[in-house]
Amino acid sequence: MANETKSESAHGEKGHGGHGIGKYIAVWVALLCFTGLTVYTGHEDLGAINLPLAVTIATIKATLVVLFFMHMIDTPTANRIVFVVSIVFAIVLIIGVFGDLWTRNEMTLPSAAPSTLGPEIQVSGPGESPVPVHHE
Amino acid sequence: MSQPVNSAEPAEPARATVNYLNHDRGVWSWLTTIDHKRIGIMYLVSVLLAFLIGGIFAMAVRIELLTPDPTIMGANTYNRMFTLHGVVMIFLFMIPAIPGVFGNFMLPLMLGAKDVAFPKLNLLSIYLYWTGAILAVSGMIMGGADTGWTFYAPYSTSTPETLFPVLLGVFILGFSSIVTGLNFIVTIHTLRAPGMGWMRLPLFVWGIYATSIIQVLATPVIGLTVGLFDATRGGDPVLFQHMFWFYSHPAVYIMVLPSMAVVSEAIAAFSRKNIFGYKMIAYSSLGIAFVGFFAWGHHMFVSGQSTFENGAFAVISMFVGVFTAIKVFNWVGTLYRGSIVVSTPLIYICGFLFFIVFGGMTGIAVATVSLDVHWHDTYFVVAHFHFIMVGAVIMAFLIALHYWFPKMFGRMYHEGWGMVAAGFIVLGFNATFIPQFLLGNAGMPRRYYMYPERFQALNVASTAGASLLAIGFVIILIYLTFALVRGKRAVDNPWDSRGYEWLSASPPPKHNFAEQPIITQDAHSYQNPGEEVEHVVI
Amino acid sequence: MSSSDHAHHHAPGPGEPTLAHHFDTQDQQNQAVRLGMWLFLGTEVLLFAGLFLGYTVYRNFYHEAFHEASRHLSLFLGTTNTIVLITSSLTVALALWAVQQGKNKLAAALLVFTILCAFGFLGIKSLEYAEKFREGALPGKWYHFSEITAPGANLYYTIYFLMTGLHAFHVIVGMCVLIWVLKGVVKGRFSPKNDVAVELGALYWHLVDLVWIFLFPLLYLI
Repeated sequence: MANETKSESAHGEKGHGGHGIGKYIAVWVALLCFTGLTVYTGHEDLGAINLPLAVTIATIKATLVVLFFMHMIDTPTANRIVFVVSIVFAIVLIIGVFGDLWTRNEMTLPSAAPSTLGPEIQVSGPGESPVPVHHE
Repeated sequence: MSQPVNSAEPAEPARATVNYLNHDRGVWSWLTTIDHKRIGIMYLVSVLLAFLIGGIFAMAVRIELLTPDPTIMGANTYNRMFTLHGVVMIFLFMIPAIPGVFGNFMLPLMLGAKDVAFPKLNLLSIYLYWTGAILAVSGMIMGGADTGWTFYAPYSTSTPETLFPVLLGVFILGFSSIVTGLNFIVTIHTLRAPGMGWMRLPLFVWGIYATSIIQVLATPVIGLTVGLFDATRGGDPVLFQHMFWFYSHPAVYIMVLPSMAVVSEAIAAFSRKNIFGYKMIAYSSLGIAFVGFFAWGHHMFVSGQSTFENGAFAVISMFVGVFTAIKVFNWVGTLYRGSIVVSTPLIYICGFLFFIVFGGMTGIAVATVSLDVHWHDTYFVVAHFHFIMVGAVIMAFLIALHYWFPKMFGRMYHEGWGMVAAGFIVLGFNATFIPQFLLGNAGMPRRYYMYPERFQALNVASTAGASLLAIGFVIILIYLTFALVRGKRAVDNPWDSRGYEWLSASPPPKHNFAEQPIITQDAHSYQNPGEEVEHVVI
Repeated sequence: MSSSDHAHHHAPGPGEPTLAHHFDTQDQQNQAVRLGMWLFLGTEVLLFAGLFLGYTVYRNFYHEAFHEASRHLSLFLGTTNTIVLITSSLTVALALWAVQQGKNKLAAALLVFTILCAFGFLGIKSLEYAEKFREGALPGKWYHFSEITAPGANLYYTIYFLMTGLHAFHVIVGMCVLIWVLKGVVKGRFSPKNDVAVELGALYWHLVDLVWIFLFPLLYLI
């Protein structure tokens, strides 16, 4: 059998079910607290911080679920690498696209994106054709 | 008790013994099989049929381009022809072919395993393939998709009805690809024979491993490139391109990595020499897979993407060339001072080496932004990717088909006809695509139905070459079919190869090995002092 | 005869796992299915990633419309759904623990609770969807919600329906998986020796929860 199976069985013997349910309850309580926090801060208008803060709280919640509910904390390394790598590439996708958007010239951004230079094209509503709007 | 069975022994030609082909009889036993070898054969028939369909549409395109004016079809039909050609070739052949046929068949044999990790999932993968293929092809024939295989918005968003079955078909084909990749990764991790550490894996396995990682990570993203890109409603067509190419660029490495993996296997066998630089080839496979994820923007140099990202993607794309070059160097190093066996696969190997160098270098060329601005959407790009897709990938497919023909079917094909066909293929290929480089450089755009007079000579040359290619493929079809039914019976290891898959009988029995093999030697190990192997001729 | 042959030849008793013919040991099989499941979860992450990308890009362009539209979603219903899913995640994790302790009755009760949570989630979702249909807050070309006039609102709802719809589809699939697991627990097929299927079912359910943990703030809050 493959080399990795040996370490897996050594792992498996000790990890599972040996502990009580306290850890799960604690994680659940923490998740609820963070949910409360994100609901509260999400509705306050904190300007540009809103999105990163919400994503940070969500990431903390997700980490708790992944590490403890999904037992990633005591699962074989191969499984951990798989999951982490998929998240990393999802982030690569998002960063790659945003890298493009943030480094473009103003003129090549799609309609209605805020622009203080040059004429703006505004889409007035569904089905209507775009109308150029000039700022003084 | 398992015996070390790593040395090849002279064996008698296989009689009509019970093997995976005749173990169970009847169509139903094939349709419900969970035997990876049978699934591989079903994939073989399917992808060859797809190749035939895609090839017919290619000939239709080339015949239309014989004259600068309309030749045999109208403009809209022409758009549908090249869309059909692209979609069928890429999604029904290039992506599934080598992993689905040879990955399925050879992987467990090479690992010394009885099957893949999830045999029923394997069967599901081919059903997904058939479903997706039927949906996509019938959708294109009935609905008339004319967007090109890249389905760019905003053109694709103005004709949504006719595209739906095609997109659904491609979506389902994506699942087939994901399932295959997942199966292979788990198989490689968990089902290796005793003694087979990672550094003893055959290089074909390394290539399939890297491919499977890409299949699993990249394919899901393209699953949801729908509904968000209609520009009249505020959608962003460039976002479509980002999401499309985030998958489709790694997809080309799904096509190329298995073909490189095949060549690594075959080149050692036909040089009768240890592979040069095993570790570097293995790591380069992973390197290509990794870098391939960060390079997608090089398809978007003129789309409105920022200059900064243009430059970034250009530089990153060039790293792929580094890894490919390492592999080419190692392959040539394997041939050097080897004991070359002149045979059909070797001719294709030589063709492969030439085409991947040439195609790869033109890849570096188009990765250069300042040059691609002129070459984008011209025949130069078309020639570049056909050099890799046909020149490298299809050559490798043919190498695999011939090298492993005796393994899969227990018979030998006719070498003479094999070499004749190889001549047609290699020469025909050059005649088809070298003119296209010149056409593109002279400014002929791709996907154009009509063109200026001055381009006609090169177009005619290209079509003539395509005809030679077609003849070559027909010859192959004929002699291989003949070999299937009337070919000389092969011994278990007619090439005297040191690949682990040759340790089993040819064709293998249903459960692959009589006894669990134990691996005591490195992969592709041809030169081992003290090991005498008799070269067996039937 | 080697021990692996022995494992293949006798029929599994109640609570004992079945070993497939191509695996040598139960450990090897367990390792394989676990790795397979994590790989599958990885693909699910990337499936949603494309939609998350669409969300972030269009939010960047149409900030006002997205902001307004998220205020129009029911915060109460969304928060309730979040609590429902988080709790169901707890109960399914506890169910796995119970199976590992041999406490199948407790596990069954916990699984039933989890499945009820899933139903609850879908019920609340359909309430929300019904309201959207009434208002006209629909994706793409069907959009006719008069209250939000900022450009890009129709895209918000396209993304809303795509993401929550895909998520709801996964909730339904997860429910079916958990029902199948429940059957096995009740019949005694799953036990401390044979708990991998329960583990995998729970993993899938946790993924459903994970996606919602990100969906909720992005769609309902900011």
